[in-house]
Amino acid sequence: MSIEQVESLIAELVQRILAERGQQAGPVNSQTRLLGGELDIDSLDLAAVVVELETRLGKDPFAGGFIEFRTVGELAALYVG
Amino acid sequence: MAAELTIGTAGLLQDGVRLPAAAVQALVAGLAQRLEQGARQRVALISDRADAALVALLACQRAGCDLLLWRQATPPDSPVWRELGVSALLDGELGLVELPLPRRAEAAGLVLLATSGTTGTPKVAMHRLDRLLGRVRSPRDAAAAQHDRVLLTYHPCSFAGLQVLLTALVSGAELLAVSRSTVASLAAAALAHRPTLCSGTPTFWRGFMLALGPQAASVPLRHITLGGEAVDQVTLDRLRQCFPAAGIVHIYASTEAGALYAVRDGRAGFPRAWLDDGIDGVSLRIRDGALQVRSPRAMQAYVAGAGASPIDADGWLSTGDLVEAEGDRVLFRGRVDSVINVGGAKVRPEEIEAALLELPQVADVRAFAARNPITGELVGVELVLAEGLRLDDVRPIIVAHARQRLGGYKVPRVLRQVTALDASATGKKQRGG
Repeated sequence: MSIEQVESLIAELVQRILAERGQQAGPVNSQTRLLGGELDIDSLDLAAVVVELETRLGKDPFAGGFIEFRTVGELAALYVG
Repeated sequence: MAAELTIGTAGLLQDGVRLPAAAVQALVAGLAQRLEQGARQRVALISDRADAALVALLACQRAGCDLLLWRQATPPDSPVWRELGVSALLDGELGLVELPLPRRAEAAGLVLLATSGTTGTPKVAMHRLDRLLGRVRSPRDAAAAQHDRVLLTYHPCSFAGLQVLLTALVSGAELLAVSRSTVASLAAAALAHRPTLCSGTPTFWRGFMLALGPQAASVPLRHITLGGEAVDQVTLDRLRQCFPAAGIVHIYASTEAGALYAVRDGRAGFPRAWLDDGIDGVSLRIRDGALQVRSPRAMQAYVAGAGASPIDADGWLSTGDLVEAEGDRVLFRGRVDSVINVGGAKVRPEEIEAALLELPQVADVRAFAARNPITGELVGVELVLAEGLRLDDVRPIIVAHARQRLGGYKVPRVLRQVTALDASATGKKQRGG
């Protein structure tokens, strides 16, 4: 999968979480901050996104320990290459 | 008796509004007066506001009332109040509702806390405030502590939240609190109000560092505490990098056992030598791979009817945490039981399964711990759906039902559709028959 595809997968997962809470999501793109920015998601939501990415992409970039990431693009990059 | 304790006072900064220590004292005096009108009673506080918890704690001590700290919205006519002997309810605005229940002659300024992760009526542990204060240190430099500000990351009515309130009381530090807090709102509060002390779960700290990013450098933390779940070395190392000026301590405590020990060397687990020598008056041993503790700071008992004491005749309490001695260290390896640890909050899979089985769309379900690098574990469910249904079609119904019945961290975040549950893989579905 290309980084753009992973980014749109992350956007889709985030939007589904917000929709399930009856919230509207603005645009989610590569620059969108995952925690502490515009998105109204919490650690648990972000954890759910990471579990879903691992399941769908068959890759666990955190297997060797935690890696710092802030934006959708930075998270997506961990699954590419 | 407990009322004779001098436990100091503290001011608060709640949701951006400052409440000085003198104002807290005035609220305490007012509430204590209302509580003293009549016999001593057992009061339940239902609120997520730290200011209400602090005032209720001090006022109940002064009036000799028991205080039950309660996290679930529960109506006045619920049978739970009679079961727990509660005769008055207090809300976040300090409104008092008297219940038509007999008052207790024996109320004695106890603090009662519900344990997390149980079905039906939570178990309630009774504590004496003097014992709870046993682990709370007076500051070495009282004058410096007056300028400290403590960021509260826990629910103020949880055991960990109470420890933070007591720390603020003993040290005279200001309490920084946000109602309905999220890691993002806590990060925003930290950037706006610059706390110097903060205690949180490893899950909180990982999310907090993600939310702060490079701005972490402008939060002047000088003391960091981790607790509620086992911490890994990577998280400890990242905290050291993000907050180089801070002392970092990880503690081990539970609602039943009270606060047990603190590890200050920046390494995960605890020193193996503590198995032989004990630590801070606590004895530790490993039995069947699980950590057992014997503590002078354990709770008094569960409230009558809520279950047998988990503490045996010799004073040993099984923590349910699996541990392994490795070199000079004892490291945590998960749980003995099937409890799912969501960022320090314990969830029993049976509770999740029972709630989802209420739906006609769900034929069978198995709850499991979905491991992840942020919260450690999440609630996951494998679902066998009714004939012809697909997960994408019923997902919103399942999530909405779980949100309404379970709420918060108990809502399954990872949903998978399966054609049948694999009972042989873990044998988990044998639980509860």
